[in-house]
Amino acid sequence: MTEVIIVSDGLLERKIDVQAGQRTDLVLLVYPGVSCEVKMDVRLLGEGAEANLYGVYVCGGSEKVRISVEMHHDVHHCNSRQLFKGIAGGTSKVDFYGKIIVAQDAQKTEAYQENHNLLLSDEAKVDTKPQLEIYADDVKCSHGATIGSLNEEEQFYMRSRGITLEDAKVLQMISFIAPVLENIQDESERELVSTRFEDAIRKLSK
Amino acid sequence: MSDILLKIEGLRASVEDKEILKGVDLTIRKGEIHAVMGPNGAGKSTLSAVLAGKPQFTVTAGSVEFMGQDLLAMSPEERAWAGIFLSFQYPIEIPGVTITNFMKTAVNSHRAGKGLEPLKAGDFLKLMREKMAFVQMKPEFAKREVNVGFSGGEKKRNEIFQMAMLDPTLAILDETDSGLDVDALRIVANGVNALHTPEKAAIVITHYQRLLDYIVPDVVHVLKDGKIVKTAGKELVAEIEEKGYDNL
Repeated sequence: MTEVIIVSDGLLERKIDVQAGQRTDLVLLVYPGVSCEVKMDVRLLGEGAEANLYGVYVCGGSEKVRISVEMHHDVHHCNSRQLFKGIAGGTSKVDFYGKIIVAQDAQKTEAYQENHNLLLSDEAKVDTKPQLEIYADDVKCSHGATIGSLNEEEQFYMRSRGITLEDAKVLQMISFIAPVLENIQDESERELVSTRFEDAIRKLSK
Repeated sequence: MSDILLKIEGLRASVEDKEILKGVDLTIRKGEIHAVMGPNGAGKSTLSAVLAGKPQFTVTAGSVEFMGQDLLAMSPEERAWAGIFLSFQYPIEIPGVTITNFMKTAVNSHRAGKGLEPLKAGDFLKLMREKMAFVQMKPEFAKREVNVGFSGGEKKRNEIFQMAMLDPTLAILDETDSGLDVDALRIVANGVNALHTPEKAAIVITHYQRLLDYIVPDVVHVLKDGKIVKTAGKELVAEIEEKGYDNL
């Protein structure tokens, strides 16, 4: 079952050890107004261990959000996947630091990490540093990071159908974070979280 | 009440300081279908984008009146509420937004614009099913992301589906024939024809005669280098096909 963590102000530190054949699924949620430092340290310690980390952060004011993830693949045949998506508006500042470390013995590792960001204002700042440290030679690893803004062609298309600019932006932002929220398995919890983000995003785009 | 729907006078527009429309005059009355033809780069797509209010274009001179209102003073969404619909030459893909969600937002925005309550979920879905069947779109498209992974024909059918949902007074079809095989062309054209009434009008923008075999225009204009250089009846289409744009 996926663990959902609603991050509050301040420091959140988690060390997670995943043993052979075990699996960990985690979704981190950072709502507007929350300034935090999240430090995740995950170790895949036995064959067949799997870790899936997901995260959403939405900042519209002067929040400072710092997320760092270290994913250690210590042994062979382990999988990890990370997807973090965030929206930075106002004068907020986001730092994302993600590192995948694949030990020499960790052959047949599959490790993926993605961090995608939407910048809503000129004053907001996003810094993303994905890193790979690979000491094994038979692995599948990838990382990707993007920082972009809301697509104006999409906005005009929606507005030409009568959707207000404000609603168009809300639709764009909700669809942007949806791939992360989809990983919340419990349907009622997922709907609750989606609604809360939608309300928060609607306030941001006013 | 005048039967004039759209009155364009001396319209000049530019994009990134490059003038594309250099004084366009065009009057469209209720019940009329106008074809705007012209070579590539003549400004056909610019004209449609300016009428729909695309922010990247700057109107530098002239006026556009739609049903007595100053169209140029309105936002793109206000123009849609007033009854203008643009079928895009290249419909935009919107990942993560389903057609259902997209159309529900659009339909209810129109209703809010007219001071009406949102449509009941059941009524909305019924309307969707009816209009999708109208353009022969399979029901499963309702759950698909807007235009993502659609073929050229599917995108254009989706445009006409949206037009059917929103029921505009003035439809502007920008190169709706491009990228369509003959079957898709027929479905799209039949859709446009079926939606046309004596109270409405359409502007069909096209490079070729093909679409105009199916959607027969009342008036044909030739746009060249940002100006309408010739206006006549539908016989002009055959003349263009025969002589080309250069010899007009």
